[in-house]
Amino acid sequence: MAELTLTGVTKSFGGVEVIRGVDLSINPGEFVVFVGPSGCGKSTLLRMIAGLEEVTDGAISIAGRVVTDEEPSERGIAMVFQSYALYPHMTVAENMGFALRLQGVGPANRRLAVEKAAKVLQIEPLLDRRPAQLSGGQRQRVAIGRAIVREPRVFLFDEPLSNLDAELRVQMRIEIARLHRTLAATMIYVTHDQTEAMTLADRIVVLRAGQIEQVGRPTELYDNPANIFVAGFIGSPKMNLLPARISGPGQVQLGPLTLDLPHLATALPAGTHVTLGIRPEHLTGNTGTPVVVEVDVVEELGSNAFVHADIAPGLPVVAELRSRPAPGDWVTLHFDPTRLYLFGADGQRII
Amino acid sequence: MALTGKRDRRILWAVSVPMGLLALSCLYPIWFAVNNALKDNKGYILDRFGMVNDPTFENFITAWGRARFSEYFLNSVLVTAGAVALLLVTASLAGFALAVLRFPYRRLVFVVILAALMIPVQVVLVPFYQTIIGLGLLNTRAGLILSYTAFFLPFSVYLMTAFYAALPRELTEAARIDGAKFWQVWWYVMLPLGTPALITLGILNTLYCWNDVLISLLVLQDERTLMVGITALRGEYTTNVPLLSAGIVLAAAPIVLIYLFFQRRIVAGIAAGAVKG
Repeated sequence: MAELTLTGVTKSFGGVEVIRGVDLSINPGEFVVFVGPSGCGKSTLLRMIAGLEEVTDGAISIAGRVVTDEEPSERGIAMVFQSYALYPHMTVAENMGFALRLQGVGPANRRLAVEKAAKVLQIEPLLDRRPAQLSGGQRQRVAIGRAIVREPRVFLFDEPLSNLDAELRVQMRIEIARLHRTLAATMIYVTHDQTEAMTLADRIVVLRAGQIEQVGRPTELYDNPANIFVAGFIGSPKMNLLPARISGPGQVQLGPLTLDLPHLATALPAGTHVTLGIRPEHLTGNTGTPVVVEVDVVEELGSNAFVHADIAPGLPVVAELRSRPAPGDWVTLHFDPTRLYLFGADGQRII
Repeated sequence: MALTGKRDRRILWAVSVPMGLLALSCLYPIWFAVNNALKDNKGYILDRFGMVNDPTFENFITAWGRARFSEYFLNSVLVTAGAVALLLVTASLAGFALAVLRFPYRRLVFVVILAALMIPVQVVLVPFYQTIIGLGLLNTRAGLILSYTAFFLPFSVYLMTAFYAALPRELTEAARIDGAKFWQVWWYVMLPLGTPALITLGILNTLYCWNDVLISLLVLQDERTLMVGITALRGEYTTNVPLLSAGIVLAAAPIVLIYLFFQRRIVAGIAAGAVKG
């Protein structure tokens, strides 16, 4: 049985529909990441699951029970906010034990539960401090601890790492992954950072304009994006998306290049406008149509480099290279037909 | 910043002199009152502005006993404490509702409350007086407590709404997820977080209620509050200035003490409102 089910969930603010009929089923113990650009409705969807936003239409069930109209505290969820939302006037222990206090749990049992959660997060020495005396990373740990103490069925994370610096973010990301393994709880995680999505998720839900674009395992989305949006959104740096034209059966014209696509099964009339996609790391193989380009900009990362160049005026590409070219150097890139993606005018994937 | 140059020193003087005069104009009446409160009537008539020669506490004893200041004092304390407590609870609840809760016509309610800020007390005195009579609240302390609450509420609600609106919304949401009901969110989260604003508000409202003459004169006609009692010490043809001074010192003392006691908290409250972390 699914742990959490969304059925035709819709949300309107005034006349504006921000969530448009979302259907989703999440399995017990699954780590699901909602990802999408700003304003795509991922946070709103999470807040609807939490019960902080009313559902305009549709139903939400948790563990087989419809909770659409229930109070947040009755849904069996816990939420970690981007801004931590720790009560500034309470100590760490009081923050973490607040839900239990409201449930009428006695001080001794409360302390036990808090200490148990604090141990998992290694924040035992902080229990008597106030949030203002903690660093950003420590505050985030306390916020997660507050969620753990409640022993919820579903953990909700709303961009929990956005306020942390880069190094801490990587560290907390690993900790959240470890936590998921230890607790074996269902987790829903909202982020706009696709690296977080790729590294943490069992399944990623890509959202755009209040709709699900694609749901799948991270590698599945990376290797087989259903449409141009997912192709462009998943992967960093993003996939090269270039305007092209069908020039004949199994042939695509990309600027000056004619690329053979023997596996293009769909017969498209010549002249059809399409978008050709290729990932930066796939331009540096030895097979396929070669093209010599002049390096414009180099983003050096040490182990590899991202090279920006134009294959023709108005056709910029990014390629991931192991060598270390300098701007102005000439390099050869290869368009390997097996690595190419083709998207139709409607944005849907053709191959 | 060290002021060393000639020009700097001139600026220092140009600022200091008016500031000094301003300070003097505030301090002199206090000195005048304390000084004369310690004189007897003869001493005052012989030398109004001079330093007291033979200090006496007779005026304080007379004011407290014969001029019934002890009764007035009790009235003032009860009414001020009651009104301030009621104001703080109501303003905190209303501020919470207006800043955090979503309900229809929320903005309209806020605008109406703001509009009430613009109406001077004098304009509504007649209908106010009739309402007090109609409700049977004339000559009752409860009537005065309710009146103060009504008149000072708009500003209090405005201040608390502004303060609560600046708090992160996630705090109340986190409390709801933790299982707090409406009253619990208020009691456990909003009330303690509002402390800096509530202290500032408490001080201000204490000042207003304690120093009020007009509303008190209307509502408590048989009994009196301190400020009304002081005005009653002024005769139509003669005024016993030393006795009046003693009354003023007695009336002002609690406020000064409150200020000295809360001085740090007042400054902290203002700072907390100014720089939200």
